[in-house]
This record gives sequence, structure tokens and C-alpha cells, in this order.
Amino acid sequence: MTDQLSALTVIFTEFYYWITVVLMFLIHVGFCMYEVGASRYKHHQHTLMKNTMLIPLVTVTWFFFGWWIYWAFPTGPGIAPSIMNESVALITDESTFSAKWYQPNTEFMAVNLGDHISGVFWAAFLLFSWTAASIVSGAIIERITTFAFGILAIAIGSVFWTIDAAWGWHFDGWMLKILGYHDAYASGVIHAIAGGFALGVLMVLGPRIGKFSSSGEPRNIGPRNPWLVTIGLFLIYTGFWGFYAACNIPIFDLGPEYGMEGVTYWTATNIYVTPTTLSGITMNFLMSLSGGLLAGYVVAKGDPFWTYSSGLAGIICASAGNDLYHPIQAMLIGAIGVVIAYKLHYWVERTFKIDDAVGAVAVHGYAGVAGLIICGFVLNGYPSSGYSVGAMWDGSTYASINPLGQFLGAIVMFLVLGLIPGWIIAKILHAMGKLRIPREVEIAGLDYNLMEADRDSEKAVSSATR
Amino acid sequence: MATVTNWIDHLSAEEVVGAIYPGAGSSETLLVILGVVFWLGFHVLQNMSESEELSKLARKRHGANDHKSNVTEW
Repeated sequence: MTDQLSALTVIFTEFYYWITVVLMFLIHVGFCMYEVGASRYKHHQHTLMKNTMLIPLVTVTWFFFGWWIYWAFPTGPGIAPSIMNESVALITDESTFSAKWYQPNTEFMAVNLGDHISGVFWAAFLLFSWTAASIVSGAIIERITTFAFGILAIAIGSVFWTIDAAWGWHFDGWMLKILGYHDAYASGVIHAIAGGFALGVLMVLGPRIGKFSSSGEPRNIGPRNPWLVTIGLFLIYTGFWGFYAACNIPIFDLGPEYGMEGVTYWTATNIYVTPTTLSGITMNFLMSLSGGLLAGYVVAKGDPFWTYSSGLAGIICASAGNDLYHPIQAMLIGAIGVVIAYKLHYWVERTFKIDDAVGAVAVHGYAGVAGLIICGFVLNGYPSSGYSVGAMWDGSTYASINPLGQFLGAIVMFLVLGLIPGWIIAKILHAMGKLRIPREVEIAGLDYNLMEADRDSEKAVSSATR
Repeated sequence: MATVTNWIDHLSAEEVVGAIYPGAGSSETLLVILGVVFWLGFHVLQNMSESEELSKLARKRHGANDHKSNVTEW
């Protein structure tokens, strides 16, 4: 970089994403605390390690192929042509944002003086991948093997969420063009897909021993350590600030980008390169959190576990359109999402005997789906992209945001890329005998051997005289 | 192996080469192969060790409250 102003812009952007990555790390810290707090004492250490090990597994696979998928798949392939090369094939040519540059053996996937952005952008997306896998992790505690979870974490974190991001969370994604899909802060592309995936796995995995009585009535297996759950959820809220900032491009000149001759317009944009402000989305984040907390407190009758989770569900429900909503719209949408998620959770639990240990399918899946559909009505008619405006199903232009497109988008996220792959992979692992821990181990506790070794050590130390 | 041996020469070149890690331009594919082997090797070893641990514990058939006798005071 030889020009000071452009150097400042680039290095500001580099630092901006770096900060978001550090903040988003707190999401994972929060998920770990939350899960351990929700699990029983005899499963604590394995529960913690299961969630922790998704960090390296999703990271290395994100390096090897996850990031490549994001840049290769916006066209489907075969559904709508790329605006970069007008082809419907995988984007692996010489285009500026081609997957070619993000193969793991290219010089851009390393320290490179000519590229200050790829690494931090890669990392920001990677932290989203951890979140997707961690959402699934909470639902299935106390009975899944660490091996099976590792495979499932890679599938959701480095394959299916990145395909959905290429389709619906990319300036060139086919879902924007064909459907007018809009999901600025990932109601669908992270939360609905992860919730759907978790539900697919739960359908095969089955409930924890003792969750349902012989007559099928669900029993409450509440959080063992509500204080750890509380801190965990507060940390997830905190990390979510970083998530919101990471979904934006901090400084961008839309004039030349949109081909507007002689126009210069610097602004922050969302991932679709349409304008918003960090200031405005901060208000909406807080108002949707508040809407969720208020509704959650009422609907759960002050139950702390659900009230905290409802704050999260409120943000998740409003996230699809929080780049454009009025703060009061964000608050009300957050509240509506919470009521839907809470009611659906207990209905699904009773009707289908699904044991979602932390309510992840509800908080992320149902609230995410509700958020996408509501967004289609509230933002009906807004352009899904700044590059062009066209009709639905056309494909060569960008459709406007609309209720049908958002509804179909929600199905793609929750069902097509979430529930169905989760169910299929879980079925395969089950057939291999690798999905669920033995019944005897579930009863004894996954940590039994560790605890026994600790006890023996303690005895030896306490009886020692020198 | 060193890609850069003199920063003044490197940065004053007409076109500065961006990639500065050791083995730039010649070692990347080999590194990816090593990385994939390391990753898959983890799954193999983890699966073997977990299967052994789970079957050993399952054979003991402990009760639901037996773990309480293992609670330590430290």
C-alpha cells in the first residue's frame, strides 16, 4: 500500500474484523458455560470437551474446504448466473471473488503482504461456523458420542451452513436473485439451519434416559448450575455484538460499486452490500433483546432459564431485517418470535417426544424461521441487492424482498440444508453404532472414570505423610 | 526455505511479493496433504480411544447414583 488514505481504510477494516472475531469468541465461551451448567454433574467434563473440540475440528476443515465452498457455490450451482462471470457453474474462474483464490494451497490463505482482509474475513465467518455447530451441541448433551458430534459439527459448521451462506448470504447468491431473500444478521443462515439440523439429529438420537415417563409425559431435567447458565447466556449476548458488527462491511463507497457515475457514497453496508449503519443496528439489537426478554418473562412466568434464552430468541427473530427495521418493530418482532418459539418447543416435546436439552431448536430454529417469514412482510418491496432490481424467478436480476420468497427461504434453511442433512448423517452414524453412548454409560455418567480417578488421587494425597 | 532474506531488497522491488511464509510457492500442496492427514488421524485415534473407554465403562454397569461416591472434596 503506497497511499496513506487507502492504507488507513484497509487497515481499519482489517482491525475492525479482528475485533469482531475476538468478541465472537465469547459466544463460544458462553455456549461452553451454558452447556456445562445445563448438564448433570456426572456428565460435566465430557460435555465441556465435546463442545470445545468443535473449535479445532471446524477450524481446520473451514481452512481445507469450508471457505472455498462459500466462494464457489453462490450460483447453486446451476440455479442463477453469477454477476461476475454470468455463468451458473461453480465460481472457480479468475473472477475477483472466485473460490480459486481460497483453495487451501493458495498464497492468499497465509500471511500475504498484498492481502490484509482475507484472513480476518475468513476468521469472522469461521466464528459463525463455530456458533452453528455449538447450537447443535447443546441440544444433544449427555448421550451423544464425541466422535459422532465431531462429524456432525464439521457437517454443519464447514459444509451446510457455508452452502446456505453462499446461496443466501452473499452479494451474488442465487436466493437473492430468484427469491429476493434477505437475512442481514442470520436469522436463517445460522440460526434456522442449526436449529433444523439439531432437530434432525434429535429425531434419530432419541431422548435422555428418564426424560419421558412410561406414559410419555415429559419430565423436567432443569439446569444443574443456573449461575453458570446465566453467565453463559450473558457472554453469548456479549459475543452477539461482535457477530452483528462482523455481518457488516464497515466502510464502502457504493457509488462506483453500483455503477453510479460521478457519485461517491461512503457508508457501512450489510453482507449484501446494501447500506445500513452500525449505529442503527445497535439500537435494533438492544430493542429486539428487550422485546425477547419482556415476552419471555411473561410467557415463561419468570423462569430464568427461559427468560434469558428468550432474550437471545428475540434478537434471532429480528435479525433478518435488523439492518432496516425501526427499533420498535425490532422489539415487537423479537417478542412475537419468543412466544412462537416457546409454545412450539413444548408442543413438539409433548407430541413427538423430542428431548432438546437446552431449547436450542426453539431458540434458534423456530425463532429464526419466524424471523425470516415476518421479515418478508415487514420489508416487502425493499430491494434485496443494490446491483439491480428485477422480478422473482428471473435469476439474472435481483428480486425484491417478499413474503413468499422469505417463506421458501426459511424452508431451504430449516429443512433442506438443516433438518434433512442432520437426519441423514445421524442415521448413518446410528447404523455404524457410533451415534449414541451405551445405555450403561449414560446411567453411570460419562465422567465416571475421571471422577473415580480423582477420588483415588485424593485418597492417596490425603493419606500421605510426606 | 527462507522466502525473504533482506527486507530492503524485498520491499523496494518493483512488484513486492506478498507471500512471505517459508516455502512460499513450492510447499503449499504438501502442507495441505500433511494437514489433512493430521486432521483425519485425529478422528481415527479419538474414535479408537473413545470406543475403548465407553465399552470398558459399560461393562462395569454402575448405578445412576454410584458416581456420588467419587465426589472429591478438593
